[in-house]
Amino acid sequence: MIQYAAIILIVFGLYGLLSNRNIIKMIISLNIIEIGLNIFIISVGFVYDGIAPILTSTNSSSALLYVDPLPQALVLTAIVIGVGTTALGLALAKKIYSKYGTFELDEMGDNE
Amino acid sequence: MANIELLLLFLLASGIVSYFLTKWKSFVGSVFTIFSTMFVFASLAMYGFSGQLDTTVNVIPVLSFAQTNIGFYFAIIIVFVYLMVSFFHPYFVGEYKYKNSYNVMFLLSLAGVIGTFFADNFIQLFFAFEFIVWTSMLLIPMGKSKKAAVSYYGFSAAGSFAMLFGILVMRSVSGSFDIDLGLASLAGGQATLVFVMFLVAAFSKLGAFPFHIWLPEAHGNAPHPFSPVLSGALVKLGAFVAVFAILRIMPSTPLIDFANSNLPHIPLGQYAVVILGSLSIVFGTLMAIKEDDAKKLLAYSSMSHGGYILVAFGIMTSQAVAGGFYHILAHALASAGAFMAIAAVAKQTGTTKMSELGGMIHKMPITYIVYLVAIISMAGIPPMGGFISKWLIFQAVIDKGMIFVAIAVFFGSIGSFLYVFRPLAALFLGQELREYKVKVKEAPFLMLLPMLIITALNVYTGVIPSAILNFTNGMLVDLGLAPVSITMWDIVGTTGTLNPALIALVFGFGVVIAFIIFIVLKKSKKVTLMETYTAGNFVHDEQLLHYTKDFYAPLERLYIKYTTIMKEFYETLAVKVKEIGRFGKYLFMNKFIGTTILWIIAILLFLLVGEVL
Amino acid sequence: MSSLAVLLIAIPLIAAFVSILSKKVAPYLLLIASLINVILLFYFVPDGIVVIGGYDLPYGINLFVDTFSRTGLGVVNVLFLVIVLLNIVEFKKYSSVLLVALAGLNGLLLTGDLFNLFVFLEISGIAAYLITTSNHKPLATFRYLIIGAVGSSLYLFGLIIFYGMFGTLNLMDMVSFIQANNVDPSALVLPAMLMFIGLGVEAKLLPFNSWVKGVLKDSNTLSGPMIAAVYAATISFVFGRIINNLLTLAFVGNLLIVVLVLLAVGIFIAEAMAFASTKVREILLYSSIAQASIVILLFVNGIVLWAVYLIIANALSKTVMFLVINKATKDHGDDESDSLQGVFSKNILVGITFSVATLSVMGLPLFMGFVVKLNYLTELAVGAQWALLAVILISSIIEGIYFVRMLIKLWYPEKNEVTVKFDLGFKVVFVAIALILLALGTYTAPLNTLDNSIDTIAEVIDNG
Repeated sequence: MIQYAAIILIVFGLYGLLSNRNIIKMIISLNIIEIGLNIFIISVGFVYDGIAPILTSTNSSSALLYVDPLPQALVLTAIVIGVGTTALGLALAKKIYSKYGTFELDEMGDNE
Repeated sequence: MANIELLLLFLLASGIVSYFLTKWKSFVGSVFTIFSTMFVFASLAMYGFSGQLDTTVNVIPVLSFAQTNIGFYFAIIIVFVYLMVSFFHPYFVGEYKYKNSYNVMFLLSLAGVIGTFFADNFIQLFFAFEFIVWTSMLLIPMGKSKKAAVSYYGFSAAGSFAMLFGILVMRSVSGSFDIDLGLASLAGGQATLVFVMFLVAAFSKLGAFPFHIWLPEAHGNAPHPFSPVLSGALVKLGAFVAVFAILRIMPSTPLIDFANSNLPHIPLGQYAVVILGSLSIVFGTLMAIKEDDAKKLLAYSSMSHGGYILVAFGIMTSQAVAGGFYHILAHALASAGAFMAIAAVAKQTGTTKMSELGGMIHKMPITYIVYLVAIISMAGIPPMGGFISKWLIFQAVIDKGMIFVAIAVFFGSIGSFLYVFRPLAALFLGQELREYKVKVKEAPFLMLLPMLIITALNVYTGVIPSAILNFTNGMLVDLGLAPVSITMWDIVGTTGTLNPALIALVFGFGVVIAFIIFIVLKKSKKVTLMETYTAGNFVHDEQLLHYTKDFYAPLERLYIKYTTIMKEFYETLAVKVKEIGRFGKYLFMNKFIGTTILWIIAILLFLLVGEVL
Repeated sequence: MSSLAVLLIAIPLIAAFVSILSKKVAPYLLLIASLINVILLFYFVPDGIVVIGGYDLPYGINLFVDTFSRTGLGVVNVLFLVIVLLNIVEFKKYSSVLLVALAGLNGLLLTGDLFNLFVFLEISGIAAYLITTSNHKPLATFRYLIIGAVGSSLYLFGLIIFYGMFGTLNLMDMVSFIQANNVDPSALVLPAMLMFIGLGVEAKLLPFNSWVKGVLKDSNTLSGPMIAAVYAATISFVFGRIINNLLTLAFVGNLLIVVLVLLAVGIFIAEAMAFASTKVREILLYSSIAQASIVILLFVNGIVLWAVYLIIANALSKTVMFLVINKATKDHGDDESDSLQGVFSKNILVGITFSVATLSVMGLPLFMGFVVKLNYLTELAVGAQWALLAVILISSIIEGIYFVRMLIKLWYPEKNEVTVKFDLGFKVVFVAIALILLALGTYTAPLNTLDNSIDTIAEVIDNG
């Protein structure tokens, strides 16, 4: 169920990239794609009725049913990478603004 | 030295040495080139005629050589032309833009020639082929046109890659690149495919219709000492590939028979070659008749002679093939002689445009004789070598009963006299133009020497052909055909016997009688160029009265509108490829990020729909 | 000492962190780190599998050093060192970024874990975006960033689907699992295609490569060779390894036809696009796209060895070509081929080396490109792929024509005299690379000592 939500988010993000001409909006669409992807990753590891994969005093045996911890680790890495990319994108957006005076691709004239 | 591999290494080394020598003094470098080429020619001649060339390979293990009669024949002719042309280098090389590399590329392309004709596997053949293409391509822009090298490379590449396709088909069938093994392993539809591919290669290298566009541009605009090499020697590579395609692959195609079903049949594949060859003859002749620049005219004549060779090989009887081989020799000599004479004139006067020259016979009589002998051979008139080969080809065409091909072949002969006469009249005969009266002298001795040698050979091949025909009989036997019956003085054909020495004797008699008449009778009166009958009109433009301008105007008017069809076809092809490129740029490389995302989504959807359905 | 391979990644990374602290020391750290990498690679790093962190396969990350990765590492590290040496004076500010790039590239080539590959892909990607900012065209870099990020996300998407199906992230483990259980290829179509597209974006395949034009069109002597030669070689090696082991299990039947058509169309259109261009840098970049597509085509057909040699030949040639043209453009101002006419008439040595590199890309004899081209065409013929053979040959005709046109324009001046000065360091590099191309073109014995089993993952899987 939740995977459908993830895929809908990814589709929103792709649509956003397709239809927007504003630099900031494109960065936001990219972020939406990455959010959708991260949710998808977590959902792959979901086990119905599983508990969090942490050994505590009440759940101290590894034979209990737990959700897959690996995708959660992957998602942490992916979130960090997404943050880095977004930061770089925003820095570039600032550079573009100072060079062209606008965020709209249409108004930036002939770059080719 | 008898070892082919050492000859190859010698040429590579001398190429490098000549670079430094030419850099120091161009005259010394060119003289060194003459000696290197002479050494290679002497080695090949000494050992090759008796079949004693050493094919063992010691230094470079990937090479392997084999000496065949056909390979040696081609090689010795081409090396001879290179040698003769190299005598021109000391006078020409100094004025080119990249003169240091001229001699290097010359020697390297000669190395490629030796590698091609003595190769026994296809990879080496292809390697040497491509090597010749790029070393000769780098020499062409030093002449007059830069675009010429591009079209030369384009057509050569198309031919080479077609040949490569054929080679790879043979490799996948027979499992190796060996020439004899590969050719023997072909059958059925694959044989036809390889036949067509090799034909494309042969046609584009020979400059035959429909791949002839590069010929006038490259040969006409190449540097003067390189045009004889291109036209006399390197187009013979195409003839070599044609030998492979037509004579050795021989796919089985339906037979065609002609008016009289008692006459022998000819397969469809070969007939197609013969028709295309005749078209080359006719079109080359027509284009040459209307051409004003002497070198471009000779380039078109190479195209029509290439057509003769294709017709000869296509008919495939022993007379025709012997005629084809003989024509390769005769055309190489005649074409080299004619180009070299034009080069000598160009060196002394600075132009090759016929409407600007005249009366060179007064100052350059020996060059005139060279050119005269060369064009007599090219037109196929006895007693020169061109007559022998054309006689053999005519015999074969008539023998097979191919009427229309015969018409084309005869038209080519007559037309060739028309167009070779024009440069003779324009350059040498007539009256001297004022600007050249003072400073033009006869060509220097080192340039005259090779021209005289070639003239002597032109005459020799026409008067006593038996020695060469003996050699070509050996090649015919290699190909599985019956040898042509010859004696010391006669050639036996199907319609009669030809005795060239007798004909030469009769011609000599006629020349002597005409000379006696000339000396005995009254001399002619000299008039100036412009003293002609003008019906009382005042002559404004002297140029129009120069009698070689629009020499064949009535004939040209018939077809002048149709001469650019093929050239426009190829230019349109290039434009279409450019348009595909621009369309690709429009679709894939525009500045909106969305298009890439769109393509990604499109491909994914395409796959998903395919999976679901 | 068997885990020395880790140092290839660790040293540049640590150097990168240290160099942020002090801007002045940064260039020296860059030089020292690349030099140490090269020395380590050629003398000390042994073959084998390196397990990171003590977590055994298949639970942990492992590095995989065999002939395939070693070849890739050698090419990339040496070329990186050369390009850095030539540009260090001018581009001091980019030292930290270049160190991160070095770490990322080495990681890409070494890793055996697919998620680790994603991480290194992103690291190298961010470093690449920063390197391209040296072109001072922020819009082109932005495009590269967006498309690159989307590509990596698609790759991750595909990878996660694979994880969901098989439960492992390790390449060797996944391949052996698929082979052992005879998984139906049609189940692998979607994730395989997602990974293919994801890596294809970075590898310059059509139609995902609109970023290439923007980035390389205005490149300079640092970003041009770096993106076109070093990055291209790395991505091709990595992509090749994944295709050869994992994706060929999915590329059967109709999907194989779709992929081959995509690649073949890409080759032809890229050559046509180069034919239609007049600016020299555009011609070079379209030619790079076409050659990259040919490399991937060869990998999909299983012709691993000659694909590797093609990568090496192209990396060497494109380094020379981009360095020459970018330096000429910097001195002259623009790279329209009509305005650069005759640039070699005063720089004959550079002209000769540039011509050698061009003739090698065209596949003319006496140079390495000819040997490689002939061999891979033979392999395609033996595999009876006649349509692909015809497409490559026709594209080669077009390629030959535009390269010859470009060469002749660069050698023969029209009216104006173009003067460009090349420093001694550049000339040394050009001559060295030209000599390598010439040597490997004539003495081909070293090329024949290896064969398709250069990628030994399949062997390792078979041995358990």
